[in-house]
Amino acid sequence: MPYHEFQCSKCIPERKQHAVIKGKGETLTDALPLGYLNTIPGSISERGCAYCGAKHVIGTPMKDVIHLSHGPIGCTYDTWQTKRYISDNDNFQIKYTFATDMKEKHIVFGAEKQLKQSIMEAFKACPHIKRMSIYQTCASALIGDDIEAVAQEVMDEMPDVDIFVCNSPGFGGPSQSGGHHKINIAWLNQKVGTVEPEIKSDYVINYVGEYNIQGDQEVMIDFFNRMGVQVLATFTGNGRYDDLRAMHRAHLNVLECARSAEYICNELRKRYGTPRLDIDGFGFEPMAVSLKKIGLFFGIEDRAQAIIDEETARWQPELDWYKARLLGKKVCLWPGGSKLWHWAHVIHEEMGVDVVSVYTKFGHQGDMEKGISRCEEGALAFDDPNELEGLEAMETLKPDIIFTGKRPGEVAKKIRVPYLNAHAYHNGPWKGWEGWVRFARDVYNAIYSPIHKLALLDISKDEIPTDKGFETQRMLSDADLSDEIKNSTTLREYTGKYNCLKDLRKKTYAPFERRELADAV
Amino acid sequence: MAEQMNDKIAQMENYIMKKCLWQFHSRTWDRKRQNENILGMTKRILLGQPVDKDTPEDRCYWVDAVTMAEAFRERCPWLADMTKDEIAALMDGLYERIDFLTVTGSLNQELNDQHY
Ligand code: SF4
Repeated sequence: MPYHEFQCSKCIPERKQHAVIKGKGETLTDALPLGYLNTIPGSISERGCAYCGAKHVIGTPMKDVIHLSHGPIGCTYDTWQTKRYISDNDNFQIKYTFATDMKEKHIVFGAEKQLKQSIMEAFKACPHIKRMSIYQTCASALIGDDIEAVAQEVMDEMPDVDIFVCNSPGFGGPSQSGGHHKINIAWLNQKVGTVEPEIKSDYVINYVGEYNIQGDQEVMIDFFNRMGVQVLATFTGNGRYDDLRAMHRAHLNVLECARSAEYICNELRKRYGTPRLDIDGFGFEPMAVSLKKIGLFFGIEDRAQAIIDEETARWQPELDWYKARLLGKKVCLWPGGSKLWHWAHVIHEEMGVDVVSVYTKFGHQGDMEKGISRCEEGALAFDDPNELEGLEAMETLKPDIIFTGKRPGEVAKKIRVPYLNAHAYHNGPWKGWEGWVRFARDVYNAIYSPIHKLALLDISKDEIPTDKGFETQRMLSDADLSDEIKNSTTLREYTGKYNCLKDLRKKTYAPFERRELADAV
Repeated sequence: MAEQMNDKIAQMENYIMKKCLWQFHSRTWDRKRQNENILGMTKRILLGQPVDKDTPEDRCYWVDAVTMAEAFRERCPWLADMTKDEIAALMDGLYERIDFLTVTGSLNQELNDQHY
């Protein structure tokens, strides 16, 4: 597996250790990109800061909480509403954002008074919310404000509120990943074990590392409810603050994004003996295997199988409609962390696309091990990319689409490469069987949008054809398809609803079973 | 003969590396424990021996082991023609290989970090 040197990064020779090409017959022991290191000076990274990782990724998806940044307004602005971690309480946590708005005078004289005032104001402005998370930023960390002391003072004065303090300033780590780590451990140390939950089922899990992007968590909770599995807490998408204080009582931690949340699972295993089961919630087969494993753990695998059979029968013809049209399309899979390995093999197997490159902005070497293992030979894998490297890779690999964040995504658009937002999605949810078809539909819509062809014409110099009408998506995607596929009566396009969460939120379930209670009666 | 064995191990290795996540926990001691327990249990299942799964921890290993044993039986039809001794030797070889790829031969510099 040779290391790869980008032409544009020849002047930063250290970058060579951060990129490899997966060679034929070679293994992870031949070469592995470096990862989770400070960005090399001269390389304009696409990473976020450790405050952003703590607040933006993990803290803010908690839904019944005032999320207050103790710092200049700019830190908060960058973490506001850019990710679609929705919730079923009218999206309180993304509708409102709070900051103490630190200014020069606070840096000189301290900002603890301002912090207390802001806390009080926020609780007053939202009288129905009794929980708060406070996030330290570079400014408040450097002047040494004692956020815990202020929070404690408020809790003493207002016994009905509870406050969590996250000390993860922007400089606390090479990337947002440092913040993931800090908030995991802070939550565990400060809050887990401080609430006793009502146990309603014999089968109790925490669902960890799931952030309810466009409703992913709600899709998964539906499966768990159908299996009779009680989800004590989701860390943290659509999660309730007090539920997350009760994480110590689960029988099993089901871990989705190990990159951002393995820390809390590892510590829960050490401190409370709760085992950690890593799963994949994306794709038909991984989804099926994951539910089956949870079923096996509790001895209810037949319930998982019933869901698998029903969902597969319902959605397979639709996934296959898209697969037939996406076969052989080249993808650069360039997410932040875990989707690199959640998706690398399964988009190839189930959507028929070829992953020609994987990268991770803030992943560790362990994520690269997983991602490189799962992608096909010949793929270019690189860590902590910069914009020029991304451009060079797109120019040489000529992908049909890239899956990435909005900053590199906009860069891709400039060179007419369509992109899907791997962090916030387009028309999600993308988890579960239906979600996976919605993802395939988004990929199809992006690749075959007629706009890309039109955009390639430069009206200042190209001849504009006036004898032809517009081409439609279907004309483009079906041009080389066999009649058998084109006229198939079994394959069909997505037939779900525009908003597939609406009905889910109204759904009712059979009550959970509790053997111990039944025995006692 | 050795070549045939290596080829079989490679097929199983490919399944693990593509489909599983349990082998990539974040520290050396963690990976060793996962490899030993999960592959150990898979071996017992394939040999038709009983597996101890009374504690939640063991049950969690078993979940991955039983899923993998099922997948091996499905994807590696040649397993059905092997004797128990051959299966035992094959699984020992697979264990050694996975330990090499994920622990002893791994280039992951975080594996020996003292903290999680
Ligand atoms: S690096 Fe510091 S100042 Fe910049 S956004 Fe992050 S916390 Fe705020």
